Formats: sequence, C-alpha cells, structure tokens
Amino acid sequence: MSFVEPSVERRSLRLVKQKTDGQSDTPAWLTILNSLFYVVVLLAVVAFGYYLYTFQRNQGLLTLYLPVLLDGARVTIIVSILSLVLATIFGFIGALGRLARFAPIRWLAMVYVEVVRGTPIFVQLLLWYYGVGYVLSTMGFDPYSAAFQVMTALQSNSLVPDQFNAYFYGIIGLSFNYGAYLTEVFRTGIESVSKGQTEAALSLGLNSRQTMRHIVLPQAFRITIPPFTNYFITLVQDSALLSVLGLIELDHQTFGLALIQTDVGVKMFVFILGALLYLAICYPLSLLARFFESRFARAY
Amino acid sequence: MDLIQQALPEFLVGARNTLIYCVSAFPLALLLGLILALMSSSRIIWLRGPARIFIEIIRSTPFIVQLFILYYAVGAVLLTVKLETLDNAWSAGIAILAINYSAYEAEVFRAGFLSVDRGQTEAALSLGLTSFQNFFRIVLPQAIPLMIPPFVNDFIYMLKDSAIVSVISGTELTAVLNTWVTHHGSNPIPLYTLAIVLYLLLSLPISYVARYFERRLRAAL
Repeated sequence: MSFVEPSVERRSLRLVKQKTDGQSDTPAWLTILNSLFYVVVLLAVVAFGYYLYTFQRNQGLLTLYLPVLLDGARVTIIVSILSLVLATIFGFIGALGRLARFAPIRWLAMVYVEVVRGTPIFVQLLLWYYGVGYVLSTMGFDPYSAAFQVMTALQSNSLVPDQFNAYFYGIIGLSFNYGAYLTEVFRTGIESVSKGQTEAALSLGLNSRQTMRHIVLPQAFRITIPPFTNYFITLVQDSALLSVLGLIELDHQTFGLALIQTDVGVKMFVFILGALLYLAICYPLSLLARFFESRFARAY
Repeated sequence: MDLIQQALPEFLVGARNTLIYCVSAFPLALLLGLILALMSSSRIIWLRGPARIFIEIIRSTPFIVQLFILYYAVGAVLLTVKLETLDNAWSAGIAILAINYSAYEAEVFRAGFLSVDRGQTEAALSLGLTSFQNFFRIVLPQAIPLMIPPFVNDFIYMLKDSAIVSVISGTELTAVLNTWVTHHGSNPIPLYTLAIVLYLLLSLPISYVARYFERRLRAAL
C-alpha cells in the first residue's frame, strides 16, 4: 500500500470500510430461508407440546408413566455415580500399576487394560453377573443376604432392594470396565507432566509423595478432566445395559411400559419420554464436558 | 476342556456373524457420517439444524435404547405398512450400528475438515475451482490421513457394541454365549473365557493396525 498515491489509498480504504461495515456475505434469500427455519422450529415445538397435552388430557399418560420413569432415572443416576467413584479407584490403582517399577505388576496392569478394553462391556457384565456371581453363589456367597444382614444390624433392612445382586455385580462390572479406560487416562495425565518438574521438586527437597501430591497431580488433573467427563457420559449410557441383568432402571422401565402397549401411538410416546429423560441426563453432562474442555484448554 | 471343544464351532460361527455385522455397518456409517458432516457444516440452517440435532440426540442416548426403539417401535410401524421384511434382527442390527456410528463419524469428519488449513480452500477458490472440486480434490485428500486412526478406533468400538445387538438377535457371538450358558449353567466360566478370547482375537489385530497408522501419521506430521 505504500506505493499507492495518497488519494487512491484513501478511496480504496473507504471502499473497503463501506463493504465490511456491518455487512455479512450471506445473500438475502439465504437469510430469509434461515429465519423461516426458526419459525418452523417454533411451530414444531408448539405442536409437540400440544401432542403431549392431548395425551395427558385424553388418557392422563404423563401422570401415569412419568413417575415410574423418573424412578428409573433415579436408579440410573445413583448407579452411574457409584460406578464412577469405584472406576476412579480402579483407574488410579491401574495407573499406578502401569507406572510401577516392578515389571510383573506392569505386565499385570497391561493385561488388565488390554483385555478389558478389547472385549465388549456387555460380555463383561454378563460374565460378572452370570459367571462370577453364579460361581460365588454356588460357593455360598450371596451379596443380597450379606447386605440384608448388615442392614438388619442397622435396623433398616427394607432399604435393600430385591435386585441387590444385579446392583452389586453390575456396579462392579461397570467399574472394572471403566477402570481400564481411566487407567489410560490417568497414566497419560501423569506422564504428560514433564520430568523436569519432578526433578526440580526432588532437588528442592520434597520427597516423592509430596512431589506427587503438590506438583505432579495438579498439573495432571488439567489433562485428565476432559476425557474423564466424556467417559462419565458414556458410563451413564452404558448403565442402560444393566437392565439386561434385571436391574430396574430407566430403560428397563421404558421398555417394560412401552412393549406392553398395543396402541402404536402410545408405544412411541413412552419410548420418546424415556429417550427424553436420557437426553435430560446426558445433554447437560455433555455441555459440562465441553465447558471443562474449553476451560482447561486455556493456559494458566 | 471338552466343553470348550464342544462349543467352539458355534462360537466361531457367532464370531463370523459379529464380523459380518460390523463390516456391513461400518461403510454405511462412514457414508452417512460424511453426509451428516457436510450437512452440519452447511450455511443453510435447514440442513445444519436437523443434522446437529440428530448428532446430539444419537450421542446422548444409550445404544441399547436406540436399538430397542428401532427394532420394536419402528418395527411396529413397518408392520402397519406391510414392510415386514425389514423387521428382522440383521437389518435392525446393521441399521442401528450404522445410524449410531454415523453420528460419531460425522464429528470425526468435521474435525478432519476443520484441520485442513483455510488457506487451501481460499487458494483453490481464487484459482477458479468450484466448491465441489475444492472439497473432493483439495480438502478431502488432506483430511483423510488425519481421520484414519479415529476411524479404526471406531471400528473396534463397533466390534464391541455389536455384542449389544445380541438382545434382539440369535446369531451373534454374545447370543450364542448366552444360549450355551443357560444350557450349561453349572460351568459358565470356560464359555465366557472362550468368548472373551474370540473378541480379543477380533479386536487386538485391528488395534495394532490403528497404532501402525497413528505412528505413520505422527512421523509424517
């Protein structure tokens, strides 16, 4: 621009300024078409609300089915949170095993991770409930009776649900599976903290436990949070598989109520309601996951 | 043990069926995923909106719920329009695997397209190429090597999710496993071991292929 005459430069700058001054480059017909879409979406939402309202008014379906489904959702949330906590413990132990200095422990951890990640979670859940659970019950160990006795001592044995076996083995199975994935996540996080940090901490006189706690783990935390939240969302969805073991949770309720319907409209209604509840659980979690990703992607 | 030897032929057939499910569904998922990715990066919101909503819903609901909805609900609807031939476990299983994974592949495709430098597209358009030519000759060839490792990983996930199809099918490896366990309930552990070994034999070689591609990609970058 420095070889252009001042008057030409001023004019071209003015032209450039006029063109990009609050003007976008989408053509007018496209803007109109796009605004039409929002109108249609609004009408569709109103129509869907009316559809729900007619079902409610004619057959009281919402008040009939929603409490049952919400109860199932409660079970799903409880199972997911318990499994996540246990899976974090398994993952942490696994990560320490993967990074151990003693080679057989390293190999054991690697076999755990490879086998658990290479087989379907469905087969693992079946193995825990019908395989390990069956073998243990023939040897006399029954989680339901053990829990019943414990709760009787606490004088609240009516709190033990009938499908406690399914709860017990289901949560162990889920945690065992996700522990393997979280092992890799934690290992990557710990290894991503550069060795220089550890060396500096040790040379400043911290022992290795203090180094881990104050230097390595806070920095590893930043790397591990995004995959961790993603795995939590997948865990909530995989808790639906527990319904095959007999656990009464959200999709078990949905199918139990929906499949016995003879009217196709009501059947779809119950399915849609169940799917909406799953969405209501998972979509906020995925928004939270995206928030964590963007937050931890920023530098300090 | 002889229980494993008894069960082995049927288990091998089940493993073959698992492989057939996945090998049929994965190309469909890639094709649908490409269409979805192009739709969700469009300027026209009539394409972008439904595509994004579809991807979000598929990714936020469990696979087994989608499977049941497709098989029972859509199956019931298909019966009323006399299309019962589509209402079997093979079609439903392959269809739901393809639909579910197309949402994940669409995200991988979109990430791949975004990773190609915008300058390439600008140069192509300024040289007179149409958007179509730009996409298929400039952007896609550069994006494909980046997308191969996630695709191979997704194939491994599909191998594992195909086990869930066993709740409606009778021919898949997990379904065969379930029938054998209910018949031979006194000693289920060898059967589970056999099934796990077969799944590992299916998935471990493919994960080595994935790691090979990842290493080549990292060397090339």
